[in-house]
Order: sequence, then structure tokens, then C-alpha cells
Amino acid sequence: MMCPHMETTLNEYVDGMLAARARATVEAHLAGCAGCRTAVAELRALVAGAAALPKTVEPSRDLWATIEPRIVQRATWNVQRVWWRGALAAAAVLVIALGLYRLLPPSTAPYRPAGQGWAAVQADFDRATNELSLILAAQRGRLRPETVALVERNLGIIDAAIAESRAALARDTANAELQHLWAAAARQKVELLRWATRVAAS
Amino acid sequence: MTRTTGWLTLAITLLARQAPGQERVDEHWALDPNGAVRITCPFGKIRVRGWDAETLAVTGRLERGAGRLSATGDAHVRTIEATGPADLEVHVPRALTVWVTTTGADIDAVGVDGKLDLTSVGGAIHVVGTPQDVTAETMNGSVELAGGTGRARVKTVSGDILLRGASQDLGASTLSGRIVVRAAGWQRGGTGVQRGKFESVTGDVRFEGELGRGGVVEVESQSGTIEVRVPVNTVADFDVLTIGGAITNHLGDAQPKPRPGGTGQELRFSSGVAGSGARLTARSFKGSILLQTFPPRAASQR
Repeated sequence: MMCPHMETTLNEYVDGMLAARARATVEAHLAGCAGCRTAVAELRALVAGAAALPKTVEPSRDLWATIEPRIVQRATWNVQRVWWRGALAAAAVLVIALGLYRLLPPSTAPYRPAGQGWAAVQADFDRATNELSLILAAQRGRLRPETVALVERNLGIIDAAIAESRAALARDTANAELQHLWAAAARQKVELLRWATRVAAS
Repeated sequence: MTRTTGWLTLAITLLARQAPGQERVDEHWALDPNGAVRITCPFGKIRVRGWDAETLAVTGRLERGAGRLSATGDAHVRTIEATGPADLEVHVPRALTVWVTTTGADIDAVGVDGKLDLTSVGGAIHVVGTPQDVTAETMNGSVELAGGTGRARVKTVSGDILLRGASQDLGASTLSGRIVVRAAGWQRGGTGVQRGKFESVTGDVRFEGELGRGGVVEVESQSGTIEVRVPVNTVADFDVLTIGGAITNHLGDAQPKPRPGGTGQELRFSSGVAGSGARLTARSFKGSILLQTFPPRAASQR
């Protein structure tokens, strides 16, 4: 199992965002930690899948097809499995977001993905966040009432923000800035859900 | 008689300080100055203090009968776990790596130069000093980092975030909290922010201070107000855009213009020679964006 404190660092390590010194520290840790090595291998596989997406933001359904069965597999749950399932679902969503983010042009130059492709990306996000929401619902009893209230209040906020940017996107599908802002809000929702499921499982 | 009453008062005060429901903790272990400590405590307060000794010392109070303190590990990595509410002061070698995990305790770390990884669900996180690396996450507690870190990553759901001092690589993300960054430049012992990313959904974001030469700062909010305040002599390229809000620029004469297609406003300009300084990008869906000098210029100077 991955060391919980390494989650962010490993993501940045796989993304190549760490400075040389930090990278060396992670590599030293990986040499002695099988759980983190496995997590890195999984993240690399997912990133490689995202990198294979076509450049037209027509995300490959194959990626989801390989991830989804692992997420929806309903074995006998124990807490650790629930955590991993949440982490996997979150990783899937983040990778899709990352792939999307990387495919977006760095400038505000007009960018026109096929409308159908964008709809598919949104559908994938919806599906993944629904999965995380189900996991959270199953774990709800393990959270303190005030934490539940906090999560629900903020889910309301983020859902409203996502709905607003989604409505704007429906009117202007090709707007790269809107796509970027929508993806940022969606990422925040995934992170909130992931956090809540992690707290519930701990 | 007066004297007797005075002594009695003193005795009662001293007895009251040692609350009957609390159990004192005072433990010491030798610890590798480059090692690590993990601290877990559900509620209360955790104070981490860096010191120049190769010793890990835990002092404080536990709520009697509500849990116990245990320590495992060796001189390289030690784990301290309180299973009930506690008020702990943990002295650690300065260069140590410190992990703290708590449900509702406030975390206060001072004088640690190593790596800090602090996680709380509902507690506040406060860091003072020059740690090499800080990761701080809390759901609804606030986070304050003061001093200077090589790298900091802060995340909250609804808690406010305040980052101040001479840090180079900063990242802060919140859903509904407010982000305030006060970055010190060379005049105040720093180099300005070399890399910064600050994002919120509904919370306001304010960046105030100096950009590092060649630094890249991104500010993004869905509906919060974005304020950027930089010194008047800042050399930077600015790229600012809002879909549904308004842009106000007091950094120069450049004024925002409608985006092609009529969706929002954008403003791109350079102060100084384009491409020779820092780069600042601000994006908002429906919040306003204000660019201002720091300290603000008087209206008559604009």
C-alpha cells in the first residue's frame, strides 16, 4: 500500500514536476518501499494511457474501458479495498483531467474540439465522480456529522460552479478558457470527494 | 490573616493548574537529526518546535482516561500516537522530517528546517520558520505559513490560506476559502515567487508582493475576486482574462478589451521589455480581476 504522505509527491514525481533533489529523495524512498513503487507503476500506466489520447480532445474510450471494470468490480469490501477503489477512481479522473489539461493549448487561441468529444470527456468525469460519490455514501457513517455537513455544503458550492461553467460551455463549446475553468472546477470536486473518502477510510 | 489567605489562594491556584482530568506527559528519545517523526493525535493541540538537540522530546497533557500516548520506532523514524485528546509540545531536531495527522487538533510548527507534512480535517495549521518543504492540508481549518519555504503546497476546502514571507515555490488551492499571498522580494530577504499557482472556486484570491525574475505565477478562480498587487517597478508579462467579470488595471495604461465572440474581457500587456521578466496569468469565470501597484498608488498618481 502506498504511504499516505507520499500521494502528492508521487503524483508530481510521475508528472516530472519535481526538482532534482526532490526527485532523488523520492527515488531513494521508492528503492525501499514496494507499495509506493506499485503506485508509481500504476500512475505511469495511467499517464501513458492519457498520453495516448488523440490530440483532438477526442478522448479514447479505451482508457476508460480499462479503468472502469476495475472501479466497478464489486468484491467483498473491506476498508482498505474501499480506499484503493476511491484512489483508483480518483486517479482515473485526475488522469483524464491531466490528459485534457495537457491537450489544451497554452494560449487563448481559438480551439475547436469536436463537440461530441467534449461531451464524452464530461460524461467520463460525471461517471467517475458518481463512483466516488457512491463510495462516500457507503462510508458516510464513518464521518463525523460536522464533516458530513462540511462536505455536503462544499459539494453544493462546487456543483453550482460546475453547472455554471457547463452551461456556459454548452453555449460556447469551443471556448478553450471555459474548458480549462470547467476542468479546474471538476478537479476540485474530485479532490474533495477523494479527501472525504480518504478521511472516512482512515 | 491576610498572609494566610494569600498562601491559600496560591495553593488553590497551583492545584487548579494541575487539572485533575489530565495526565502529564514528559518523554525523551534520541533521534537522528536527519530522521523523521510521525505524530498522530485526534484532537487538541500539537506544537512542533525545532531545536538544536539530537533528541525528540514530547511534553504536555493527555485527557485522563480518554486515551494514551504510545511511541514506536527507532532512532531514525519514530512514531508518536495519542489515542485521545491531547495538548502536546514536541521538540524535534531542526532538520527532521515531520508528519502530523489529526482529525481536529490545531497544528503549530515553529523552527523546523526539514520537511513538514501536516494534515488535519478540522484543525488550523500554522507554520513559522524556513522549512525546506511544506505540505499542509485541512478541510475547514485555516492555514498560515510565515517565513520562507523552498516549496509549499497548501490545500483547504473552506479554510482560509495565508502565505507570507520569502518563499520561492508556492501552491495553494481552496474551494471556498480565501487565499492571501504576501511574497517578500530581495529587499525583504527573499527572491520573489519563482513559481506560484493559486486557485479557488468561490474564494477570493489576493497576491501581494514581488515576482521573482523569470518567475511564473498563475491565479485562477471560478467566482472569487482576484487581486494582484505588485511593486510599481515590476518587470512582467501579464495575461488576464475573465469570462463574466470585469478587469480593472492600475498597473499601467493598458485597458481590457472584449474577447472575440463577446464572451468576457481580456488584457495582455508587459511592464518593461516583453519576455524579460516574470509571467503572471489570471483567469476567472465570473469574478472580477484587479491589478494594482503595491503599495497602492494614490489616485492622483495614476
